[in-house]
Amino acid sequence: MRLDRSRPLLVRLFVLAILILVPPVAMITFRALGEFERGMVPELDKKAAAIGRDITAQVERAVELGIPIDHLVGVDEFFRPVLMANPELRYLAISAPDGRVLFVTGAPSADLEPHYREAGQATNLTIGDFLDLALPVQSKGERVAAVHVGFDQGYIASRLSDIFYDIAVVLVASLIVAFEILLFVVFFNVTGPMKLVGLVVDRARRGDFSHVAGGLSGDEVGHFVRTLSTTIRRADDQYRSLMAYIDEVRAAHFDKSVVERVAEIADRVKFLYRFAESGRPAVLRERLATDIRLPLFLFVFAEEMGRAFMPLYAREFGQSTGLFTTEMLMALPITMFMVGITVASPWAGSVIARLGTRRVFLTGLIPAAGGYFLTAFADSVVQLIVLRIVSGLGYALVTVACQTYISRATLEGKRAQGLGIYVGAVLTASICGTAMGGVLAERVGFDATFVVSAVLAAISGWLVHRLLDPGAEGGKAADDGDGSASDKSLFSLFANWRFTALLLFAAVPAKMALTGFLFFLVPVILWRAEMSLPEIGRTIVLYPLIMAILSAVSARISDLTGWRTGLVAIGGLIGGLGLLLPLPQLGLEPSMAVALAIIALGVSHGLSASPQLALVPDLCWIECHTFGRTRVLALVRTVERLGSIVGPVLAAAFIPIWGLTGAVVALGGVVLVLSVIFVVCSFAFGSGLHLVAEEDGE
Amino acid sequence: MIRRDFLAGLGGLGAVAAWPSGLAAQPAKPPRPYRIYMALFRGWEEAAQGFKDYFTNQGIPVELIIRDCAQDKSKLPGFVAEAKEMKVDLVFTWGTTVTQEMLGTFDKVDPAKHITDIPAVFAIVSQPVGAKVVPNLLSSGRNITGTSYLVPMETQVNLLRSYLPVKRLGMVYNPLERNSLVAIDELRELGTAQDFEVIVAPVDVVEGKPVAASIPGKVASLKESGVGFLYIPPDTFLNVNRDILTQAALDQQLPTFAAAENPVVTSKALIGGVYRYYTVGQLTAYKAEQILVHNKPPQDIAIDAPKRLSIILNMPVVRALGVYPPMNLLSLAEVIDGPGGKP
Amino acid sequence: MSWSLARKVSAALVAILLCTGLLTAVFGYYKFEDVLSSLVRSRYSFVVFTIKKNIEDRLNLGLALRQLRQIQETIELEKVRDDQILGIEIYDARGEVLFNTDRGGIGVSVPAKWLEPLAQPSSQPFSLMDDDMQLVGLPLVNNLGKVEGAVVLRFPSAFIDRELGPLLSRVAVELLAALGLFSVIALVASYVVLGSVGRRLRAMERTLATVLAEGGDAEPDPTDEGGFESRYAEFVAKTREAVEHIAESTQEVERLDRLA
Repeated sequence: MRLDRSRPLLVRLFVLAILILVPPVAMITFRALGEFERGMVPELDKKAAAIGRDITAQVERAVELGIPIDHLVGVDEFFRPVLMANPELRYLAISAPDGRVLFVTGAPSADLEPHYREAGQATNLTIGDFLDLALPVQSKGERVAAVHVGFDQGYIASRLSDIFYDIAVVLVASLIVAFEILLFVVFFNVTGPMKLVGLVVDRARRGDFSHVAGGLSGDEVGHFVRTLSTTIRRADDQYRSLMAYIDEVRAAHFDKSVVERVAEIADRVKFLYRFAESGRPAVLRERLATDIRLPLFLFVFAEEMGRAFMPLYAREFGQSTGLFTTEMLMALPITMFMVGITVASPWAGSVIARLGTRRVFLTGLIPAAGGYFLTAFADSVVQLIVLRIVSGLGYALVTVACQTYISRATLEGKRAQGLGIYVGAVLTASICGTAMGGVLAERVGFDATFVVSAVLAAISGWLVHRLLDPGAEGGKAADDGDGSASDKSLFSLFANWRFTALLLFAAVPAKMALTGFLFFLVPVILWRAEMSLPEIGRTIVLYPLIMAILSAVSARISDLTGWRTGLVAIGGLIGGLGLLLPLPQLGLEPSMAVALAIIALGVSHGLSASPQLALVPDLCWIECHTFGRTRVLALVRTVERLGSIVGPVLAAAFIPIWGLTGAVVALGGVVLVLSVIFVVCSFAFGSGLHLVAEEDGE
Repeated sequence: MIRRDFLAGLGGLGAVAAWPSGLAAQPAKPPRPYRIYMALFRGWEEAAQGFKDYFTNQGIPVELIIRDCAQDKSKLPGFVAEAKEMKVDLVFTWGTTVTQEMLGTFDKVDPAKHITDIPAVFAIVSQPVGAKVVPNLLSSGRNITGTSYLVPMETQVNLLRSYLPVKRLGMVYNPLERNSLVAIDELRELGTAQDFEVIVAPVDVVEGKPVAASIPGKVASLKESGVGFLYIPPDTFLNVNRDILTQAALDQQLPTFAAAENPVVTSKALIGGVYRYYTVGQLTAYKAEQILVHNKPPQDIAIDAPKRLSIILNMPVVRALGVYPPMNLLSLAEVIDGPGGKP
Repeated sequence: MSWSLARKVSAALVAILLCTGLLTAVFGYYKFEDVLSSLVRSRYSFVVFTIKKNIEDRLNLGLALRQLRQIQETIELEKVRDDQILGIEIYDARGEVLFNTDRGGIGVSVPAKWLEPLAQPSSQPFSLMDDDMQLVGLPLVNNLGKVEGAVVLRFPSAFIDRELGPLLSRVAVELLAALGLFSVIALVASYVVLGSVGRRLRAMERTLATVLAEGGDAEPDPTDEGGFESRYAEFVAKTREAVEHIAESTQEVERLDRLA
């Protein structure tokens, strides 16, 4: 095991986490289900008795009116609605005193008769999986028959079984959280410090003792780091006392030759070894991109909790006002959140330049977490919308701070790695958050779920506050390009038609589909299809899941083959076609069609997202040089977000015209048309000037 | 939390009709009781009692001015004048004759001869539209409303066939009575729709009068032609001779369905599906309450029948025939058993 | 207190384990309570439904609701049958209680919210919930189609907990035991997994100390060619060399200094 590499250690720890989390939860779940099933039986018994009494009373009345028990008419029609209304009842029967089954609904009489013959007058029987409750029918003090109510123990199990999904979601989310935390613990405590130690060791083994590693943790690594530092400092002390001695000799000695000899010694030592100039070894600190990963994960987790039900939450406030339809009011919170992000993002960059990532992260958390918290207490859709804007502003500050932190931390290394950290955290958080949010909202309600969001965001802030070293804020990262060109001329980028086509016909429709379909229409449609919130959450999770799997693959393909335009074009087409799946002509169940469309969207974005970003420097190499790539990419993001803003509004406008699934199809039509335009454009891409990407990665 | 499944456990028995309930507004009690002029045709009976009891049960104070014309049409103009003079709050009319004479038909209303300014409710009018009391059942278009009391033929047939899904329905009738002829037409129409056959046998008419003695022969002939159920229409002649008719059917082991109470309650018909006069009286009072207490204009109140049919079963006949009612029907039915009659 | 790696990792694992266990338990409990209480509610709904049928059959005979004296016996019988029932009440459309298993409660007015469901056009079953009791009810509709009142059945919300207290505490104890056991396993296992890291680091520290104090060479793991340990060995050697060189230089300077 190499100590400066984390993978082997992480794998072991993650296996450990699985071994520790899964067995107890699985064990206790099965135990509890068994207990619960048994605990239900008395209650089932009582209900069967209540129903049995009612039926018996009516049968007794018939018998008392002189209808012979074996000549009762329409017993099946009499029993059937009772069975229909009480799904835990399996059958109803009437038996003669000799055990003959006179009437039965819901089970073959041959299955029951032998038991009745044998049991005689007993009132409680177990027949297979069924519990049979018998109530005597009396006439003139004589027992003329018995009414049997058969109920199904398995019914309880089936009612309880959907808890498995909830528990599975909790478990998977826990594992992901465990993974994130272990990743953090290992990177923060082992890999990070060891990497620094590696740097110090590498310097020192070449004779450079000018640096020691920072870090003050009390664990074994910290001890090791301190031992090393002590050693280096001791060497440094010796060096310094030597130098002091030499200085003293040089200053005070009368013999010139001695002074010269001593100076030679000093020069030799200085030539062979390097020690710090300033009097003591400098403390080497380095920020690690992974340090921000856990706070980012938690923060995105918090935001994603509302994903499965945001439009449904908005709907609870109710009715259309004069200006807006109900659908529009359900869409606006999503749209306005995006507006908040769009407004704050360009501005976040300059704030970060002034205040540093740590402070911007913490500042952004205040509106974000405050927004979540107050959302729990919102009592009108206007309040909700305002709070969503506020949360959006905060969200932009926090995520841009994280991006900046990561990109600064990974400046020396590969950018792609840094981006991977960011995307990885966001996707896993999105998977966990959406699924958990659904489960949680079903159990504790929308409001409480938002409070949990606020708490999670607060925890992420606490982590950043505690763990990110305020001093480690490096200098302002050098922006590539001189950045002197003004914002106005930035718009000259649009004169590059390839760039404009990429934005308008690939980036914008992708975001439109994401917010309009996945964030807005999906929860509404699935809710209408009688799905529970956890089910909705689990369905939405298909998107980040597929996206996570595919984007790694497609990034590799795009880097290997350079076939970026093609991937973007194909992705766009798949997304647009996928949204057409709910077409009634295809005859798919709405929930099934929606699930398939989500998968298609995941495939679409998985294929196109990273090639699309990588394509930007391809298409406008010169501009990237003039304006700086960061600013070009920022422009891409801003324009893209216009798609995010338009998506839900467009979908909401379609609903009154074509209905819910019709809106999906219409949105799909728009996306498809734009994608087709991009496909047509992309054929022309190759014909002009083609430049290789300025650098690898991203 | 949002729960969609909600009280799933109710038996799907007994359909309950929806009705906009009138309990929204309960204004302060009036300083004096409402004065209601009740014009009756043949004395105080069940419908009038139901009308009166409704107010008592609901705690609505009323002063009833009761006038009975004892089947004498000539007294009615006097009633009109008296009601107008007393400035009553509402007029109640019993039966087609009283209603037509006091309220006029919708195409011939004379403010001098009829009650126009005072709101009125009518009851026991067998054909409110046919008798031109109202143009249609949704609205009278004038200051009156009321109740109908005949069970729609389709409801009767459904009930009959839920007892025994017969393919052939028989009917003995008096060819001189229009009611019976109408019933035959309606039955035949339903027969085409629901796939059953209607076989009819008119009683013999001698010198313009129906002969009761011919009834058993007619019943026997119906039995022979494969009839499974005998329908007894609301026919005055048959009502008078119900014992002969129902006994003949019983002798032929033929189940009988009566459109009126009497053949079941006081004779030997097997089953009847009726609106009880008492209930009809209550429903009429309910409409009066809408007008008086809730100030609802009478023309806004539809003319309808009670929501729930009274199903009357004659248990001795059931036992004698050995044709037993389905459990669901039994649970809804009122049962006549033994000499006491009532359940 | 110093936090060793193993302690940090095991603390993280135990915290996650406890959260997972707790969350699972909470969800499981709510689900169970959900299923059970819907079962309980459906049973009481059925009871209420039979009472409603009973009453409506009599209303159909033209009797007024407040005249149905026998209903008092019917509801008292139902209450005797099930001691969980807090009470069954029948009230008219104005909210006056006409029959009540608690006879003292006859004649009083019901809370306003019990009347709200009666104003609905569809006479649907309703269910109300309080802090400590639940209620299922059905409107009573007479043969005129008019809502005459309602029958409600009250039962305690907490009875599920009471009824199943022993069961729940048994499950809770098992859960705690499992969590405790696996917490210990987490602790032990993380010491095992991370122990090697600690040992390695301590070994390297010792090497450093030994080499500096007594001389000799650090011996890197031969499988770790070019890896950290070989670089570390170089570092140790270089450090020793530097220290020795400085010491020698110091002696040299001393010698020169004394020479004079």
